[in-house]
Amino acid sequence: MSNAQVLEILVKTAILLGGMATAGAYLVLLERKMAAWTQDRLGPNRVGIPFSRLRLFGLGQPLADGAKIVLKEDFTPRQADRTLFSLAPAIFLTAGFAAFAVIPFGSVLPSVSGGDPIRLVVAPGMNVGVIYLFAVSSIAVYGVILGGWASNSKYSFLGGLRSSAQLIAYELPLGLGLLGVVAIAGSLDFDEIIAAQTRAGWFGLTQPLGFLVFVIAAFAEAARLPFDLPECEQELVGGYHTEYSGMRLLMFLMTEFLHLITAAMLIVILYLGGWHLPGLTGVSEEVGWFGALLRVFVLTSKVLMVILFFMLVRWTWPRFRYDQLMALGWKVLLPLGLVNFVAVAVLDQIQTTWDLRGGWWGAAFAAVSWLVLACSLLAVAVCAPREADNRPRVAGV
Amino acid sequence: MKADDPGIRWLGPARLTLAEKLYLPLFVHGLTTTLRHLVKTVCGRSVTVSYPEEEPEIANPLIYRGVHRLNRDSQGRVKCVACFLCATACPAHCIDIVAAESPWPDREKYPEQFTIDELRCIFCGMCEEACPVDAIELTSLYNLTGRSREEMVFDKEKLLSVYDMTKDKEPMQSSRLGGTL
Repeated sequence: MSNAQVLEILVKTAILLGGMATAGAYLVLLERKMAAWTQDRLGPNRVGIPFSRLRLFGLGQPLADGAKIVLKEDFTPRQADRTLFSLAPAIFLTAGFAAFAVIPFGSVLPSVSGGDPIRLVVAPGMNVGVIYLFAVSSIAVYGVILGGWASNSKYSFLGGLRSSAQLIAYELPLGLGLLGVVAIAGSLDFDEIIAAQTRAGWFGLTQPLGFLVFVIAAFAEAARLPFDLPECEQELVGGYHTEYSGMRLLMFLMTEFLHLITAAMLIVILYLGGWHLPGLTGVSEEVGWFGALLRVFVLTSKVLMVILFFMLVRWTWPRFRYDQLMALGWKVLLPLGLVNFVAVAVLDQIQTTWDLRGGWWGAAFAAVSWLVLACSLLAVAVCAPREADNRPRVAGV
Repeated sequence: MKADDPGIRWLGPARLTLAEKLYLPLFVHGLTTTLRHLVKTVCGRSVTVSYPEEEPEIANPLIYRGVHRLNRDSQGRVKCVACFLCATACPAHCIDIVAAESPWPDREKYPEQFTIDELRCIFCGMCEEACPVDAIELTSLYNLTGRSREEMVFDKEKLLSVYDMTKDKEPMQSSRLGGTL
């Protein structure tokens, strides 16, 4: 590996680490603003440039929040397991950042020195990117469970426990939703998956059922409302990070927003065409500087849209009860994911066998997959597997 | 009472219609509600008032219960006749009146001193209700601040000055008793 390549990777890592940390901080502001707006309030709008009267719509708020939380006492409860207590947020944050190694944040940049174009991903050409991402995001669960256990507190423990059950339950539909995409794209590399969508249409349109399953599972994986049971404030104080304060709390909170970004990026890259926008970005590998930056812009805008959707949903739906969450995961999403995979596989095999790849045929097969979505939803509604009888059991009746 | 007691009537959850079971129509419905509020607030119609820059709009200043004032009659004298009805009605015992012989022929007594401890006051408006001559009233001044406890004990002069300050914006309520309304 040449020095130039090492430098390239270091620069990309620096951009990602700095950019994501900043994005995380500003997403907190965005979240608070969205919360305020949906509740007819104004939200934080006072903090601007310090020692001046410029308020800049509250854009200084993340800095003030960060300064505040860093200056807070970093307290460790006496009963806590000190080693694990310190280790948990570090694991959580590292896993959160490590996930971005394989996620492309654009297409390519034209080379400066006349060599190959620069791929806008930290680890380019990693042909098991999807598997890597799933492995790393599973480690994040480890940080949550560890934090809950090491705190030696009931609330933290319950939060950690719920989190482990929830994340395991929703990892399955997430994987099943992904399976359809990977099967059609024929690759585990995110760049390849985007390239496949530029040819065959966005997977969100051709596999709507898988899209639905994946989005719902992604909400649960990112522990966003309506699935934020690991840290539901009303029942568990703060969930697994109840006992944390100061810097270590900040690490937990920031990682949650990193998860939000990861989930949004996955949704965009796997189902919404990544940097591709028909008629605007082009599909070819060779792009000029303008085209390359346009693709980065398109990808970022899509991710922002998805994040806004996440935040809007937060104030739309109340939190699921624990048994409802489990029922939705195991009884609804898992079968739907399987149905989606079977439907995708069958439709693709039919297309391959009879060579029905033209424009109208593609549209027809997409219509069939929308029909599959409608039928599955209808089946779920009629069977209603979510309904549970919670009455106390009476012996002998 | 045991769970199999015949006296228990078990209530199930409400039956859902097909559209409700489908989840998505209701989800879209909820999302439009959230979005509507979002758009409304972003367009500048939020209910929040940016207080120091913007003053809240008080719907009806005449019925708002803020700082007290002692009204003057048409000759500029204090209207109070020192009957102690307000001090008696006050549940917080924050009104202290020292009565004296009236120097004017139209009444027997007048308040030599009239003090209200604004920190003890609970702004219930009972004094206003009790007053037979509409001498004490609550204004719509809500931003009452001070730097000491002593400063917050309003004497007669101060209460009269509150009247002078607010008489144009909030005229006296009863014309029967010489008010301007």
